[in-house]
Amino acid sequence: MRHLYVHLPFCTSRCGYCAFVVEVGGLERRDQYVVALNDELALEIGQLANSLDTVYFGGGTPTLMGAHRIAEIMEMIGARVGPATEVSIEANPETVDRDTFAALRDCGITRVSIGAQSFQSELLGALDRQATADQVRSAIADARSAGIASVSVDLLFGIPGQDAAQLEADLTAVEELRPDHISWYELEVKPGSKLARDGAAVDDDFTEDAYYAIVERLEAGGYRWYETANFARPGHECRHNLAYWGAADYLGIGIGAVSTIGGMRWRNAPDFAGYVAAVTAGDRPRRSHEQLDADTRRRERWMLALRRDEPMSLAWAGPPDHPDEIGHLANLGLLRCEGDTLSLTRQGRFVQNAVLGKLMEYV
Amino acid sequence: MDQSHIRNFCIIAHIDHGKSTLADRILQLTNAVSERDMRSQMLDSMDLERERGITIKAQAVRVFYTASDGEQYQLNLIDTPGHVDFSYEVSRSLAACEGAILVVDASQGIEAQTLANTYLAIEADLELIPVLNKIDLPAADPDLHARAIADLIGDDPDNVLRISAKTGVGISEVLERIVERVPPPSGVPDASPRALIFDSVYDQYRGVVTFVRVVDGEFKKGDKLVAMQTGLTAEAEEIGVMTPTMMPTGRLAAGESGYLITGVKKLGDLKVGDTLTIASNRAKEALAGYREVKPMVFCGLFPIDADDYPDLREALEKLSLNDASLVWEPETSQALGFGFRCGFLGLLHMDIIRERLEREYDLDLLATTPNVAYRVRSTTGEEIDVKSPAELPNPSNIELIYEPYVRCTVLVPTEFVGAVMELCQERRGTFTTMEPIENRQQIVYDMPLAEIVLDFYDQLKSRTKGYASLDYEFINEKESPLVKLDILLAGDTVDALSMIVHRDVAYARGKAVVERLQKTIPRQMFEVPIQAAIGSKIIARETVKARRKDVLAKCYGGDISRKRKLLEKQKEGKKRMKQVGRVEVPQEAFLTVLSIGEGQSSQKK
Repeated sequence: MRHLYVHLPFCTSRCGYCAFVVEVGGLERRDQYVVALNDELALEIGQLANSLDTVYFGGGTPTLMGAHRIAEIMEMIGARVGPATEVSIEANPETVDRDTFAALRDCGITRVSIGAQSFQSELLGALDRQATADQVRSAIADARSAGIASVSVDLLFGIPGQDAAQLEADLTAVEELRPDHISWYELEVKPGSKLARDGAAVDDDFTEDAYYAIVERLEAGGYRWYETANFARPGHECRHNLAYWGAADYLGIGIGAVSTIGGMRWRNAPDFAGYVAAVTAGDRPRRSHEQLDADTRRRERWMLALRRDEPMSLAWAGPPDHPDEIGHLANLGLLRCEGDTLSLTRQGRFVQNAVLGKLMEYV
Repeated sequence: MDQSHIRNFCIIAHIDHGKSTLADRILQLTNAVSERDMRSQMLDSMDLERERGITIKAQAVRVFYTASDGEQYQLNLIDTPGHVDFSYEVSRSLAACEGAILVVDASQGIEAQTLANTYLAIEADLELIPVLNKIDLPAADPDLHARAIADLIGDDPDNVLRISAKTGVGISEVLERIVERVPPPSGVPDASPRALIFDSVYDQYRGVVTFVRVVDGEFKKGDKLVAMQTGLTAEAEEIGVMTPTMMPTGRLAAGESGYLITGVKKLGDLKVGDTLTIASNRAKEALAGYREVKPMVFCGLFPIDADDYPDLREALEKLSLNDASLVWEPETSQALGFGFRCGFLGLLHMDIIRERLEREYDLDLLATTPNVAYRVRSTTGEEIDVKSPAELPNPSNIELIYEPYVRCTVLVPTEFVGAVMELCQERRGTFTTMEPIENRQQIVYDMPLAEIVLDFYDQLKSRTKGYASLDYEFINEKESPLVKLDILLAGDTVDALSMIVHRDVAYARGKAVVERLQKTIPRQMFEVPIQAAIGSKIIARETVKARRKDVLAKCYGGDISRKRKLLEKQKEGKKRMKQVGRVEVPQEAFLTVLSIGEGQSSQKK
């Protein structure tokens, strides 16, 4: 198992669309948390291979930890399993400057993912984001000049109130900034988020058009549409996320973190105090477990791998539940079957759920 | 008991005017058992309940009442259904009585159904005992309504009793009045036995329970019964009365009402309206039965899960045991598979049956748009009964089509007269009469039943702020220029969506239906044209655009399970769709046609 996720939950405020496990405020507990992470890592060290491929710091707002604590965690990981090929961190523009990025680079961070979401101040406001569009721009410039090998930008579309002109402005901004990697998600109104409670409605026709426009423009700009919502200049694909989409095993540490190892998936309880108390005492934190049977894992492989642009090996994925549908879907121009591989056509990728729904029995 | 001390009566009332509360009060006032004891008794004896079948609905309850003259009387309260669709059933209950309590809500006054049932009671020559209920309500206006009731039945307003079934005020006066005014039965005690079957129910523990009113002679346990119409013979295994629990008495004499249990397993064998006699002393003539009812409204009922088809058949069989007016036959739809075409007395009857099938028999059903029964004369002179659009012959083979007309009575406050007339005109109604009743107007229109079967009642209620009440009765058939309107999905005719409509509104109806369907059918992986056609001529078209985007946005390690569950949910949603050719159609699409107003879209349903 060569992939490690580290959850850093601290935030200064909760964004309206967020349903992640976050700790708003309580920054004085950051040192305590670093120690706790070390304790949990010690408990699970047996799960990790001798060398890691990827590490991913996600949040929360990981950069709110301060570069020196990230360095501490990196040392901790390095001491136990050695360096990784790719080390990513999520960064909020208002929490970083050139020095931060330089320090992050020095401790081994190879990739930053800057949470821009949009370059339009009205939309940033609607999302309760703290950063301004200018802060987003300078964060990208700072990361670059500090020598971070791969700079990614996170963007959203389908933000309540967003119109075609605002989407166009975001596209133009991205084309000008030319980050190495772009994650451009449709805003998902998750249960539990403030947007869900406010009942914001988004027009289906607009999000359809937006999705097509994003894919077409970024591809025209030289990006590879290598996953449903991810675009990379060649060589800048995120190896950590590719591991998820390849249904690889991964260890997640920290509150609320999820791990999947050997057919077992577990999630640490999101309770901060309980987590710290347990790992300090040398116990595993409270977890919810889910045993993944062979069929579930097969269906997950299909669900994940068809997000990719590369053909999926049928020998690896296992058979679909409804093999006879392959022919129909191929006739509709939605998928291609070549030898032992299956891949969605460009048209098929836009409607991958419908295709999956025909092929697989998700029950 | 001597017939002079027997009174058979029923209660007729509009829904919610207090029929059940009054019945409960009468039971309470005449029963030795208090309401509380009755309940605890029932709760304490679940096994007993099963053994003795006391869950059976009390169709005819016997109570004893000592009147102010010091004499004890046997009162038989016979249940009547409350709605317009069941005027047939009302009339058969009336035939078992000599009197009826006419209950009117003192705050609401007379409603259309009160009128209809009152006329039935007068026709059946019953003694009417007018009662104003709910006089305790602040909004009650007993003086006004008492005058109106007196006018209606030709009585003195002072004779209208004023009661509150809720508080118990005036109930004993009602009982006194029954004894005083309802004539005793006048059958011949020593004649050959004759009893009218006025109801029968199927009980899972007891089998068929038949409710009878004995007219002449006497029936005893062990008698060999003969059903005069069907010729069926059966032994009277048990004879008794409802008190309201089943109490075997071993005999029922002239004038009395009660129940019979025989070995008969099928309800249809002992038909409601038939006359029972006994083999050893066979009566010569049967009693006047009932007018054979013809179902007026038809729809297809299909199990959502095809595996439930045998269960649906069994449930229909059981329901028809209790309901002779329910008819059904197997039907096969290309779109919906195997199901049944069912005939009902009216829309409410249809709703009730459907609800009972779903609730009591735990079936998930899809009901197609209801239609009325048409009669077609073909060019070869043949007469064909058409119970579904699919049965309508090719237009070139049709000489004439007849459709059923009803006389439709609406009672409404004066301010809504315009709105009601407008609605009736839109629905091809012909104005007949209008006259004031109390402070309201009674508007009568002759209208095709097909127009009422649509969303007429909903429209009537919404256009009159809920004040209108409606009743209708079948009057005749009229020749009409009717056409079959077909709906095509992705180029294929969907039989379950076809309908028969008047030529003049076909275009508007077709347009409205395809617009509705366009909004109801979700986007699919390909474009779905929706067309309305008469014969081969397309008269309206809409398109459900192809779904261009169907992805789950973000997917990272922390939410793979959640994403998988989203797909499971989607799949679950799909299961509730009906696959029609290549198109996935939600069940509600088959009902949208129901809620198409003429030239406008109703927001209801």
